[in-house]
Amino acid sequence: MRNAWLSTHLKAVRPRVLAALNRVFGDIDLAEDAFQEASLRALKSWRQDDLPQDPAAWLIVAGRNAGIDAIRKKRLETSAVPEDLETTFDGAHPEEDLTRALDQAAFRDDILRLLFTVCHPVLRREQQIALALKVVAGLTVEEIARAFLVQPKTMEQRITRAKKRLQAARLPYEEPDASARGQRVAAVANAVYLIFNEGYSASQGPALIRETLCEEAIRLARLLVRLFPEEPELRGLLALCLIQHSRRTARLSADGEAITLEDQDRSLWDRKLIAEGHILLEAALRSGRPGPLQVEAAIAATHTQAASFEETDWAELDRLYRALELIRPSPVVTLNRAAVRAKIDGPLAALSHLEQLSNTLDGYAALHAMKGALLAELERAEEARQSYRKSFDLAGTDVERNHILQLLSRLPHSTRN
Amino acid sequence: MLFSVLIYASEDFIDALPPEEYQEILKKHGSFHEHTKSNRSFGAGVKLMSTGTSVTVKREDDDFVVTDGPFAETKEQFMGLYLIDCATLDEAIEAVKFLPLDHGRIEIRPVDYFEGADFRNAERVVINAS
Repeated sequence: MRNAWLSTHLKAVRPRVLAALNRVFGDIDLAEDAFQEASLRALKSWRQDDLPQDPAAWLIVAGRNAGIDAIRKKRLETSAVPEDLETTFDGAHPEEDLTRALDQAAFRDDILRLLFTVCHPVLRREQQIALALKVVAGLTVEEIARAFLVQPKTMEQRITRAKKRLQAARLPYEEPDASARGQRVAAVANAVYLIFNEGYSASQGPALIRETLCEEAIRLARLLVRLFPEEPELRGLLALCLIQHSRRTARLSADGEAITLEDQDRSLWDRKLIAEGHILLEAALRSGRPGPLQVEAAIAATHTQAASFEETDWAELDRLYRALELIRPSPVVTLNRAAVRAKIDGPLAALSHLEQLSNTLDGYAALHAMKGALLAELERAEEARQSYRKSFDLAGTDVERNHILQLLSRLPHSTRN
Repeated sequence: MLFSVLIYASEDFIDALPPEEYQEILKKHGSFHEHTKSNRSFGAGVKLMSTGTSVTVKREDDDFVVTDGPFAETKEQFMGLYLIDCATLDEAIEAVKFLPLDHGRIEIRPVDYFEGADFRNAERVVINAS
């Protein structure tokens, strides 16, 4: 039991400490080992009623020394330790000096750099997610493997390959200027949203494990908002995650079937998270620097303001999707906007709009599902059936396929004529 | 005398708490509620949203400036407060012993001025952010 509070402390300070160690050593592997060693030292010397004044600083000093020891051992016969890597761990409270010396601005940049590194574009998406969860959030390989339904060994290899790739890319160590920092913030915000989405939209695996991904993403987003309150996109990110997460119990049925927004029991939505999301979004929008995540959060917020699906403010959603089409166009956005337009213009107009889109979006399951729904609304059951079938063939997950099967079963049986 | 009970904790730490431990913390707040309500010293309880939601309003020259967040990089953040109506400081201290004291920091500070609902006689209202 004694270790429970300690592991919470270690988890809480991990991003900050690891970020600082990554700056010291310029190597994620070495930083992770050093953090591990520092944690062991903390386990030996921390007492619950007598914690170091600044646990993060304590661990940075201990980790730095542990890392230097490790480098020493490796280079024993060849060369001396560079002078700037001398051990500084000697007093009873070694962190005090460091705390004074630590520039908070550097701290912030350290964390941003670490996140930016593990989410670097040279990595594939699933590598980015795995590395962020492992290195920054501190999940074990087993936990991440479970979330992705792969063997721990496979996940281990994926993470090792990702690290090698980073090393091979030889990312330069740079102090970011304002515009570079802005780009990093945007990239990191996107990556954290990817983690959230992986948990949110994914369809396989036990719900609880998936929820871990959402919660870790929210934890990272909260940390980022605390560090960079002046970045509206980060508040937008957190608002978006919280509002989506508020629907977690409403969007899956007891047997794991997806329930669309239209059919969700809105009384199950977590109003506390929604309230926090709304205020974060309002604060973000004040800055007058909108970004895609703020717009997406506004879309999610608009849905939460409707007491029922029928009362949704479609005109507002159309405006927001149009904004999103401008700042971050994607087939999904276009399709979502088409769905909103269908509510405004009616099924017939929407259908002809979809025909125009089908040149470019023919390979999307969602396009055909939408077509099917519109045709069903127009009571053209046979054509609806064809569209649903096409959507079924293109769908990527079981939850999607089950959902389409449900829609198919709701169609009236074909009339022979 | 009216006392404020000011609660500070590290948000990083709270965010990292596993659900069972978080429940333990809530349980202790529950005992505090029980104790102060049964001896009729409970005045009010306020739990704040995360610091990420806040803005700071300042006056610069002839203009108002609203900046985002508290930029204070303190290790601990102000999380919320209770108001308790106790005869003595000792009584207030006894009440605070029910609260979770294993991390963060809890400060008791007497209230100099209070204006609000008459909580001694009023019906209790609970306002949840939503």
